[in-house]
Amino acid sequence: MTLIEISQNLFLFPGLNPKSYLPLFLHVLYTSPLLHYHFHSKSPPTMEAPGKVPLSHTLWSPHDTVKDVAEFLGINLPDDAAKNLAMDVEYRIHEILETAIKFMRHSKRKLLTTSDISHALRVLNIEPLYGYDTSQPPVFKEALFGAAGQTLYYLDEAEFEFEKLINQELPRVPRQATFTAHWLAIEGVQPTVPQNPSASEIKSLPPISRGAISSILSNDLLSSAADSSNGASAAQGEDSKDLRQKKKDKDVEIKPLVKHVLSKELKLYFDKVVEVLISSDPEKESLREAALSSLRTDPGLHQLVPYFIQFVAEQITNQLRNIDLLITMLDVISALYDNKTIFLSPYVHALMPCILTLLLAKRIGTPSKEGSSEEAAQELMKSQFAVREFASVLLEHVLNSYGSSYSTLKPRVARTLLRALLDATKPIGTHYGALLGLEKLGPEVIKLVLVGNLKLWYKLVIEDSDRTEIEKQILTDKTVEVLSKLSSEIPDIADQDAMETDDVSTEIQSKLAERIGESLAKIVLERPNAKQICKGIFFGEVNV
Amino acid sequence: MAQNPPQTSVPPGNGAAQPRPASRPQQQYSQADLNRIVMEYLNKKGFHKTEAMFRLESSNSPTPAVPAVSTATTPMAGPTEILRPRDGMLPRPDADRPREYIQSLQPPRQIREDEERAKIENDPEVYYRAYSTLRSWVYSSLDLYKPELFRVLYPLFVHCYLELVSKGFVAQAKTFFDKFLSDHLALHGVEISQLAGISLPGHIRENKLAQAYRSKEYRISVSKTSMYLLLHFLLENEAVGGSVLIGIINQYLKPVISTRTERVVREGEADPNEGLTGFVANTTEIDKFNEQSVLLGKLPLEPEIEKEVQAELKVKDENTEPVNGKTLVEEFEELNAPDKDSPSADSIPLPMKDASDIKRMILAVEDSRLKVKLGAIQASAPSVCMYTFHNTNANLTSLEFNSDSNLVAGGFQDSYVKLWSLDGRPLRALSKKDPHNNSDSRKLVGHSGPVYGMSFSPDNRYLISASEDKTARLWSLDTYSALVSYKGHNQPIWDVKFSPMGHYFATASHDQTARLWATDHIYPLRIFAGHINDVDCVDFHPNSNYVFTGLSDKTCRMWDVQTGNAVRIFMGHTGPVNCLAVSPDGRWLASAGEDSVVNVWDVGSGRKLKSMRGHGKSSIYSLAFSKDGSVLVSGGADNTVRVWDVKRNTQDAGPLPEAFSGDASRDGMGGGADGAKKPTEKANRKEIIATPDHMTAYFTKKIPVYKVHFSRRNLCLAGGALNP
Repeated sequence: MTLIEISQNLFLFPGLNPKSYLPLFLHVLYTSPLLHYHFHSKSPPTMEAPGKVPLSHTLWSPHDTVKDVAEFLGINLPDDAAKNLAMDVEYRIHEILETAIKFMRHSKRKLLTTSDISHALRVLNIEPLYGYDTSQPPVFKEALFGAAGQTLYYLDEAEFEFEKLINQELPRVPRQATFTAHWLAIEGVQPTVPQNPSASEIKSLPPISRGAISSILSNDLLSSAADSSNGASAAQGEDSKDLRQKKKDKDVEIKPLVKHVLSKELKLYFDKVVEVLISSDPEKESLREAALSSLRTDPGLHQLVPYFIQFVAEQITNQLRNIDLLITMLDVISALYDNKTIFLSPYVHALMPCILTLLLAKRIGTPSKEGSSEEAAQELMKSQFAVREFASVLLEHVLNSYGSSYSTLKPRVARTLLRALLDATKPIGTHYGALLGLEKLGPEVIKLVLVGNLKLWYKLVIEDSDRTEIEKQILTDKTVEVLSKLSSEIPDIADQDAMETDDVSTEIQSKLAERIGESLAKIVLERPNAKQICKGIFFGEVNV
Repeated sequence: MAQNPPQTSVPPGNGAAQPRPASRPQQQYSQADLNRIVMEYLNKKGFHKTEAMFRLESSNSPTPAVPAVSTATTPMAGPTEILRPRDGMLPRPDADRPREYIQSLQPPRQIREDEERAKIENDPEVYYRAYSTLRSWVYSSLDLYKPELFRVLYPLFVHCYLELVSKGFVAQAKTFFDKFLSDHLALHGVEISQLAGISLPGHIRENKLAQAYRSKEYRISVSKTSMYLLLHFLLENEAVGGSVLIGIINQYLKPVISTRTERVVREGEADPNEGLTGFVANTTEIDKFNEQSVLLGKLPLEPEIEKEVQAELKVKDENTEPVNGKTLVEEFEELNAPDKDSPSADSIPLPMKDASDIKRMILAVEDSRLKVKLGAIQASAPSVCMYTFHNTNANLTSLEFNSDSNLVAGGFQDSYVKLWSLDGRPLRALSKKDPHNNSDSRKLVGHSGPVYGMSFSPDNRYLISASEDKTARLWSLDTYSALVSYKGHNQPIWDVKFSPMGHYFATASHDQTARLWATDHIYPLRIFAGHINDVDCVDFHPNSNYVFTGLSDKTCRMWDVQTGNAVRIFMGHTGPVNCLAVSPDGRWLASAGEDSVVNVWDVGSGRKLKSMRGHGKSSIYSLAFSKDGSVLVSGGADNTVRVWDVKRNTQDAGPLPEAFSGDASRDGMGGGADGAKKPTEKANRKEIIATPDHMTAYFTKKIPVYKVHFSRRNLCLAGGALNP
């Protein structure tokens, strides 16, 4: 039975055509805040006069509405009839709402729209209502009326001029529905990418809507997620440890930020090792050796890795003057690297700055004093270079093992090195380090990155600068050494031809001068292995 | 306050002589007078306890204007008879006694009493008073009996309301309803909202649920003691309206005395044995109904096909190393190990298998061997790839991934289906001239109403979609065009699912039926009728011999495809069921819906194995079992994907996993203990306590999760629409 039929059966008032009042009731349905009340259980603004017997569960007063509508239609409705009609209307509205909610649910929405109601009307075999925009939720306006200052809600209906509407520009075509993909979780851990919410974001939500955040494995999923992110960006390890200490002092109840609490033994171990490593006491030399070898071989140090890396990073940034300490730090890195039980991959990005710092730092070791002898300066330079050598060896090591798993690692390192190399204002140490680094990146890089820039660099850094001869000499030698690296890559077949003539042809000579600059070319050609170097440089281009 | 004389042992002369003259003076007595008389009487007879109770009750009886039954009107009973129920708190030997007891209340109904009663019953206030007295008594009763007694309140509440409405006391009915409705919203929210609109006697006749309440018995299971307590209380308070409630209990309720004292039904949990008998299910004995035999084993392969696949796999094995120590043949044998209770291979007619089917089976075996092991112990929680849909304007209604996990289909409010390829490969039609051959998405236009459900065929060559326009449509994924429109439902279709063997599909509709179709017939092959509300979702059993339906009436049902009859009813949800998932071995069913609880059922016995809580208070939209059946994943409107350990707390459970931290609170209620520890947490920010099988939860950035899906290698895909 439809609403119309029932109304017809129930109330047959002469002159009142049910069909005429139905749309009006349904209009009431749309316009009344009832809908909103239904879904937001906030206490609704009431329109009932106080003291009146509430006839409805909802806030709108069906009784009054029926009377209003009857008045509007010019019918004098007896009170009793109005009351009965009102109750029936309310029941029908409940029925329609219930069906409409089903449509809402199946559309996986939380907001009832006018389209849901239209569908419900269709299902209930009631004439649909036209003119309600389904694309946006209806906007209600408030108005006060009467002496009591009651609130009246009405639908804001804008008036459109047809002429204007037709001549208007067409609205823009809406954008196509598309999708994006991201990892919500990898093996049970949510990666900290911008697409995933942060732990604090979740925590700030009311628990009733976000649901439980505990599980079998941990009491607080969010803190363990935060923990794993801490582990990855190891640099925070020390900080959060301090923080934890502080917090513990303040309030014993507060849970630590870092979930995995270090055992006493590990903590003791860490403190001891650190103490030995930073002591400059020569008597502790053997202890230091022992510590390093323990780092190199002991299993079960994984939990300490972030702490060690943080420690190393701190020492390196703060103690650039202390060459012995720097070497020890590099030893630590190398020891961690050698340890088979440690999975260092997640920490590579934290290790890289340490190594590159030692490779490219402007000044390593104590600055030479003004009056000190030439030899002392030399000595200093040597020890400084030793550190850089060591760092470059480590760099090569890391790149070889992790270069393949992080595709951007090598290009990034090469770019950093090149930038350092081409900066003429940098001291000799940096240039030397950059050359060392490039050398370790392999012949491909040397050929592509170094050789191409060599001409410019030589002119800028060696010829036009005010360096001492010794410095220039060192850099030039290093450059040639790097270049000779290229030659070793050439297959032997080429060598056989080389046996025939030892000299480099003039054609090649001019080409070389063009490629790497005349002065440098001259130096290269003076070398006994000039031929090989040339071959290396021009390998695959011309027949030397 | 009067002692009611229910027993026939009342001397007849006494009963006959007293009332008549007394019925008049009764009007003149004021309430105070009556109380005084009764108290004097009680005192005289030495009923001290009753007197004390009476004093208490009369002091807070709200309105004095009761046309109360006076001592004079009610024939007095022998004290022994009255005292018996109180003594009866001690267990009585016969379990059915209370029922007899109430029945025995009826005989002395004489005309005068009828008048009396009618007078009482016609007073609208009496229901309110009686119910509120009972309610406050229940609330103050011992914790031991409280939950049981509380369950009795609900049917009484409904009947009081319906009585009031049917007698035309609309205003009182509404006041009554509004006053007490909050008690029952949690457990019976759906029914409450169905009843809420009723305001005229005519509505009761029309409303199905109200009709059911009036015409069917409501079964409640209570312990003997609670029942005696209740009856005794009502008897004591007969004048305050107790008689009305007794009347209701007698007429509409069917108390079943439960002897199983050890069975503790938790507060706030629905008991499947309670409710309107014969309304939800066409049977009174759910347990007995669920004993019908079912065959849950997997469908055996045809021997020729099996041989062929095996031969192919053997060839492959010779060329490849075993993975995870298993050859393909071994994996295949493991997958196809015969079950004892398999239905026969020809139980459902299927089209002949061809070379592409065999290829698909081989692929499935290979993928199965490579699948990631998931679980709570020594295995990881699943990896989830989240697909977020943009620019949908809140129009996306459903999502579906295909079994190859390279296609996703979205159903839209605007009546179309959109297909996207997940790997970015263009969706090429067979025809070379198709203008959309280079695009990685396709629009399938044909429906004339919102698309609410979709399903890919197992061979990924077809898509079926269900819509508000009452039709299901079959689309070809070779040509990206509509093939068939299946008409038959009289109302919008909510869900559709392809059979795991292909060829058949099932639909669920608003017209309260689910139907089974074959793709080559335009009419339904079976109509599963007998639901009493919308069928919201549908799923096939892995052996394709059974269909599961989830309903708005808070139940799930299992239907036999052969006979078209219901064979199982799963009761225990407190809200409509939105989604279903059957475990790959076909033994377990998981269901979830508006009540934000995931229930796991044993299909064989029809019993609930456990409820898994942890979702926020909102709908759950999708469930998926991992391919090995050990992990269940759910996604819902609380913007999370949650992972559940299915085997935990069941007989198949393995050892408990060790918690990471050494925290003392590892009892699974850890969240709760945690919350209690934090004094800073505001009281109103109550934590939702997860059940111990809650493995983990992944949160999205305010994107409701519409669909979760496992690929054949156990990678979980999740999808949802971003609605800014």
